[in-house]
Amino acid sequence: MIHGMNIGELGVYASLFLALYFEIFLLISFFERRPAPRTARQPARYPNVAILVPSYNEERTIAGTLESLLSLDYPKDKLELVVVDDGSMDKTGNIAKKFATEHPQVKYFYKENGGKYTALNWGLERTSAEFVGCLDADSFVAPDALLETIKRFEESPDTMAVVPAMKVYRPRRILELMQSVEYTFGIFYKKMFDNLAAISVLPGPFSLYRREVFEKIGMFRHAHNTEDMEIAFRMHANGLKIVNAHTAHVYTTVPKTVRALIRQRTRWSQGFLQNSRDYAYMYFNRRYGNFGLLVLPFGLAAFAAGLYTATYMLYNALEYAVSHALDYWSTGVPLQAPAIERMSWFYLNTNTMIFVVVAVLGMTFVAIILGARLANVRLPLKSYAAYFALFGLIAPLWLAKAAWGALLARESIWR
Amino acid sequence: MTGQKYILAFVITAAIFGTAFYVASRFDARRVADIRATQEAISIDILSTETQFELLGRLDCSTITESAVLSEELNDLASRLSVAENNLGSDDPQVILLKKQYSLLEIKDYLLMQQISDKCSKFKPVSILYFYSNEGDCDDCGRSGEVLTYLRQQYPGLRVYSFDYHLDLSALQTLVALRKLKGELPAFVIGNRAPIYGFKNLEEMQTIIPELKTLATTTAAQ
Repeated sequence: MIHGMNIGELGVYASLFLALYFEIFLLISFFERRPAPRTARQPARYPNVAILVPSYNEERTIAGTLESLLSLDYPKDKLELVVVDDGSMDKTGNIAKKFATEHPQVKYFYKENGGKYTALNWGLERTSAEFVGCLDADSFVAPDALLETIKRFEESPDTMAVVPAMKVYRPRRILELMQSVEYTFGIFYKKMFDNLAAISVLPGPFSLYRREVFEKIGMFRHAHNTEDMEIAFRMHANGLKIVNAHTAHVYTTVPKTVRALIRQRTRWSQGFLQNSRDYAYMYFNRRYGNFGLLVLPFGLAAFAAGLYTATYMLYNALEYAVSHALDYWSTGVPLQAPAIERMSWFYLNTNTMIFVVVAVLGMTFVAIILGARLANVRLPLKSYAAYFALFGLIAPLWLAKAAWGALLARESIWR
Repeated sequence: MTGQKYILAFVITAAIFGTAFYVASRFDARRVADIRATQEAISIDILSTETQFELLGRLDCSTITESAVLSEELNDLASRLSVAENNLGSDDPQVILLKKQYSLLEIKDYLLMQQISDKCSKFKPVSILYFYSNEGDCDDCGRSGEVLTYLRQQYPGLRVYSFDYHLDLSALQTLVALRKLKGELPAFVIGNRAPIYGFKNLEEMQTIIPELKTLATTTAAQ
């Protein structure tokens, strides 16, 4: 079976082994400590919370974002909403100002444009709340999301930050459907990373921090346009605990076009590479637990494996196409559909790689189902179809772009 | 605990890889068994025709019909054999054995057809002996094979007998010597003519074998 296996194929097997190993590791973690279901328990106390809403030209979504925050199930005098307008040139400011006059909870600040991390820091400096969170102005929260997050903080005084379960807001187009499956997969592995104490990113939509985090390790940094990833790296570097509240649900709008998606993911992926370089000392370092031993190395390996496999597949497809075109041209044999007798099982490809790929996809499917059950996500069949058909085709594009960008140390583009 | 988990995950992953390997090899074994069964059936068919031919002795040409079915079976076997060869490798002992059996069946079919056509004037099969190699010393063999496969599909009556030139089989080497092949590949022997060497595209092939016009074409050809 592995007859004639060349170096190229060996690399694909190595990538598949890595992917399967990672998925199985997470599944073991799941069955080892199954996530607790949501309880009706109320928090013991309601601490002061400030939610920062950094916004730059968000006139289309900011009202929805603020309304979802205002309908949070939380005492009004304990919750302040801080809109930091990062130099918007559209109507974001007007809309936010109107909210600020109608709702005493809402505060509006305008500053010169300086990037998301400057907006966050600006807001941080203007609040004294015990817990500080952030909600990107393209996202919406479920009414009980804050309560669930605060409950999670109460479980341990060591918990320094809590990340929610993220869902795609009203997925309709094919690319959104694809991402809704991807985010559901993310819900699962974020929970598993929680079990491993190795959550690697504190996403913009509704991550909540204890204020002392910033007193201990400083404020947000530019961090190659991925301040939400860098702060997680820095927290791990300083032994600060991050956990996940899978019962706290946040809805985020996702890119609707391939172009926008690639731009967003290139920023994330390149940020991962560049932050990895800045925090290279954490790799394989036992001091940083599973984060240094598993999550970082596997992240980087998955990056390389994805890029490698895609290149290998592309090369093979091109070689096949070129050699067939040449054959067609030189033999004069017209192109034709495969003969009927070729439809028998005998001619199906049944090599080892096919079965391993089936296993990897099967495990991915199980993880998605578990993620969907964790956070009550309903995924129509067509979204699975979109995910399994498209993700593998599009993802290599941003991996390649990010690798190229990181290599040239060129900063990624925000939007 | 975490250490154990790292190991457990490794063991399970390795087990899945092992299972995939096992399942794939079971499929290959089934293929070999399938080919073997077909070869046995064909060898019985050939034996039956031979016996029929001997029984009839001076023969009554009207009772002999060209066995197009048999030729199709041989063709189908050829494509199955090449799948098995791709999966298991051309140096796999089972593959070599199957190829030897297949080559012998081809030679027997070829001889039988010649005998029949010698005695029955109405019976004029068009045959091509095709010699190839997949040891890397024949760059044009892949393309030549494609042309022949296409011709075979177009003219079901065309009998293409393909032989791995390097197969260690004495009967095959005798055939090579009889046909005075020089060792250049690919090589074609059309009917009883002298060998032709080198790649020929579809058009050239059709010019070289004017007898093709006497054969019926499949509906797909129109």
